[in-house]
Amino acid sequence: MKKLLSFFFVGLLNVFFFWIAFFLFNNAYHVLGALFLVLVFLIDFFIFNPKGYPYRYVAPALVLLTVFVIYPIYFTVKTAFTNYGTGHYMSKEEAIERLLYDPVYTYTIEDKTVQYKVFVAYDGLTPIHDDFLILFKIEGTLFIAEKPIPVKKKGKDVLLSEAQLVPIESSSYQLVPWSEELTEIRMITSGEKTYRAFYSPREEFLKLNAPLFKSRIAQFYLQRSDFVHPSGNKYALRIDRTGEWNFLRIERLYRLDLVQTLENDKPRTKLVVVNNRTNKPLIEREGSFYDVNEKNEEVYLIGYIDFVGWKNFLRILRDPRISGPFFKIFAWTFFWALFSVVFSLAVGLPFALVLNDPKLKGRNIYRTLLIIPWAIPVFISALVWRNGLLNESYGVINKFLLPALKLPAIRWMNDPFWARVGVLLVNVWLTYPYMMTISLGALQGIPYELYEAAMIDGAGKFRRFTGITFPLLMTVIAPLLVSSFAFSFNNFTIIYLITAGGPPIPGSTTPTGYTDILISYVYKLAFQAGTGQDFGLAAAISILIFFLVGGISYINFRFSGVFEEVGR
Amino acid sequence: MRKLLIVVMVLTTLLIFAQTKLTIWCSEKQVDILQRLAEEFKAKYGVTVEVQYVNFSDIKPKFLTAAPEGQGADIIVGAHDWVGELVANGLLEPIPNFAELTQFFSSGLNAFSYGGRLYGLPYALEAIALIYNKDYVPEPPKTVEDMIKIAKEIDAEFAGEVRGLIFPVTTFYFVVPFIFGHGGYVFKDTPAGLDVRDIGLANEGAIKGAKLLKRLVDEKVVDPADNYQIMDSMFKEGKAAMIINGPWAIKDYKDAGIDYGVALIPELEPGLVARPFVGVQGFMVNAKSTNKLLAIEFLTNFIAKRDTMYRLYLADPRLPARKDVLELVKDNPDVVAFTLSAGNGIPMPNVPQMGFVWGAMDDALNLIVNGKATPEEALKNAVERIKAQIQ
Repeated sequence: MKKLLSFFFVGLLNVFFFWIAFFLFNNAYHVLGALFLVLVFLIDFFIFNPKGYPYRYVAPALVLLTVFVIYPIYFTVKTAFTNYGTGHYMSKEEAIERLLYDPVYTYTIEDKTVQYKVFVAYDGLTPIHDDFLILFKIEGTLFIAEKPIPVKKKGKDVLLSEAQLVPIESSSYQLVPWSEELTEIRMITSGEKTYRAFYSPREEFLKLNAPLFKSRIAQFYLQRSDFVHPSGNKYALRIDRTGEWNFLRIERLYRLDLVQTLENDKPRTKLVVVNNRTNKPLIEREGSFYDVNEKNEEVYLIGYIDFVGWKNFLRILRDPRISGPFFKIFAWTFFWALFSVVFSLAVGLPFALVLNDPKLKGRNIYRTLLIIPWAIPVFISALVWRNGLLNESYGVINKFLLPALKLPAIRWMNDPFWARVGVLLVNVWLTYPYMMTISLGALQGIPYELYEAAMIDGAGKFRRFTGITFPLLMTVIAPLLVSSFAFSFNNFTIIYLITAGGPPIPGSTTPTGYTDILISYVYKLAFQAGTGQDFGLAAAISILIFFLVGGISYINFRFSGVFEEVGR
Repeated sequence: MRKLLIVVMVLTTLLIFAQTKLTIWCSEKQVDILQRLAEEFKAKYGVTVEVQYVNFSDIKPKFLTAAPEGQGADIIVGAHDWVGELVANGLLEPIPNFAELTQFFSSGLNAFSYGGRLYGLPYALEAIALIYNKDYVPEPPKTVEDMIKIAKEIDAEFAGEVRGLIFPVTTFYFVVPFIFGHGGYVFKDTPAGLDVRDIGLANEGAIKGAKLLKRLVDEKVVDPADNYQIMDSMFKEGKAAMIINGPWAIKDYKDAGIDYGVALIPELEPGLVARPFVGVQGFMVNAKSTNKLLAIEFLTNFIAKRDTMYRLYLADPRLPARKDVLELVKDNPDVVAFTLSAGNGIPMPNVPQMGFVWGAMDDALNLIVNGKATPEEALKNAVERIKAQIQ
């Protein structure tokens, strides 16, 4: 019974994972889909193979690791080598498909609309919307067309469907009554089947069906359909000048063509997109297609995501707009992280020492009170600090505190020095409870005998602190300090909520401020300063920051000798 | 295993053949009215229209993430200055001409046009104007000198408890009337569209405007630390006599019981009008939606109608984009005042390059009002920064 139940659950898990994988494949997330397939096989292997027994408990972590760590890293690295961003949002394949098949990229040959009338089969009194015929009158001749059939598909999407226009005489359909005038025809029969008049823009009574025609027939079957005349001319449903839905003779603006080019003296065949009107191939430059108009001007058409190699990384190094303020900001980022750790420890540690004293009464109450800053969400505290305390005209500090002390108001947001002090102040307030808590934990672990021995040797309080407490404390909390440093290094939230990087540095050609740290600078560059987004550059800088933080942390670990301590 | 595969296949096919429905993303103010309109559309066309509330500032980013994947709303309601960026990404569908297009103000249509095509159906125009509290200011000032005088009197009378004039002096959008009024411009408007290489933010007029701002700061009429939140909440509490804000804020002031009036931003010099940015709100169609035809039908044959536009106005009283709707609402003094202000205004550029301008100008204004740089230096540098980024 128990086994059955567990099989049931494993089965359910399998179904779920397969479903996710297929869903992802369907939506063209191939890599992620494949990852899920691999995962489900691995998990089944761990569960059903006795050798995989120990791994069974690792499986959930494996899933989370894949989804939240490995895939994002893969995706970031991949993005860093592309021009993904504003203007480059779709794959090249998709961009070309858009040019070839999207109804926007067509032109009408003549402005004459074609008379048409839609007939629908009925089941009793209800029309069967997906069984219809369209009767056309083109240059005096009647043509009939059946429901268009898809000729070009991409996954689930139909890119193009087509229907042939057949002269009514050579078709098996009978008009009732037989007439050359569309308005007079009420019915079309074919063997046993009858189609009745459903919609025509020219007959008042049938016009009432316009919403149904539009939402049930046009929406599903006529949006991306060509109706092909025996002569090869194409007709398609378009919204004309007056807002009416009419059939017009159209031609696609672009086609694919092969051209011979010489590359390194070797002839090569290349696939290009050609404008049907001008017969000129589109210009492809920096991941975008450009067309040439009548005045010989280049017109931007559409961009696609293109592999750009190391370009994004080189931009960080070579573009003076980025590399110029880079070191200034890097230095401040370093000090910001360092001061954040040092000051919050300087506040947290004394509190921990006091709270650790067994003689102190009501320790739990104090501890609870002191932990409060940690318990309030960062977003709330940061906004309270910015608007309630640090605001230059209405903040508590400038409005009440400083005047009471007969001190001039501080320009928290507009003076570079005080802005930096301000963000540090907030960060220390938010992180000292963490420092206090880890110190408290570490203090518990120091054996009391050491202090007894020291007291017997006649060491005073200060000597005991510097000789016993601090060194022993450091061996425990130093790794945590390093990780805290790394966290502050990338603590975008605080900077952004308090000063948003400001005040601005005069004379800079990029959006840089005195309190900007690397990550906020990157955010501004990649998402705010530009014409929209630049994911490629952002990904490249993220990778750079990853190595920076990694490198600094490594040096810190070595420097604090923590590896040796832990290794022992 | 085989059965399992079949189950999986069935599940996925169910997912593929989802029924048609139009999805609209709009911000708070339009949700109710659009939901009612959606029901009417459903009754007529048999198509469900799902109206989803998305925070205004989240609509564009969310659309930029979802639309390229073939997801996201079929229609979004947003500002005209998104058009350039969204078109560059191939995400907006042009709207074909329709019969009643002539009924719309050309400023609204121009704002939504890009590269010679219309990419949105405008429904409301907005521009900032002077909003004053009638308890302190019985008659709105006609010129900037008057405004300074009144503001100083109020500041002196209430000793800082009530402020005479508040507006966010480091936010470019709110400072624009003074800069444009003197002859500054962002991008030169040429017959062929905006020329992004010709930037007029450091010309004589712009410097004159910035100097006026500096004078206001130096004479302690405005405070460099003021921001939008301070202005908004002070006016709501009745602690501000004059502010500069847009029609979106009016409802809150009415609800707060403030006896307010709306007037033109005072003339900079007698005869020299202040020129604010004109923003246009409108409906845009997702180019990657599978329901493009229906979405366009919904907009052109349903939303664009006079009655629908009037109802949209009633739900969210902003300056209507249709001429005949404006005729209907003429008895609302706020709308008339904001319309007059918009009449002096200049449409906000909808080219993607505008993205560079905001940050650069906000920083320049910050440096000017804090005395870190002279108006000439700061503006010249801002223009250099914009030019460097446009390349």
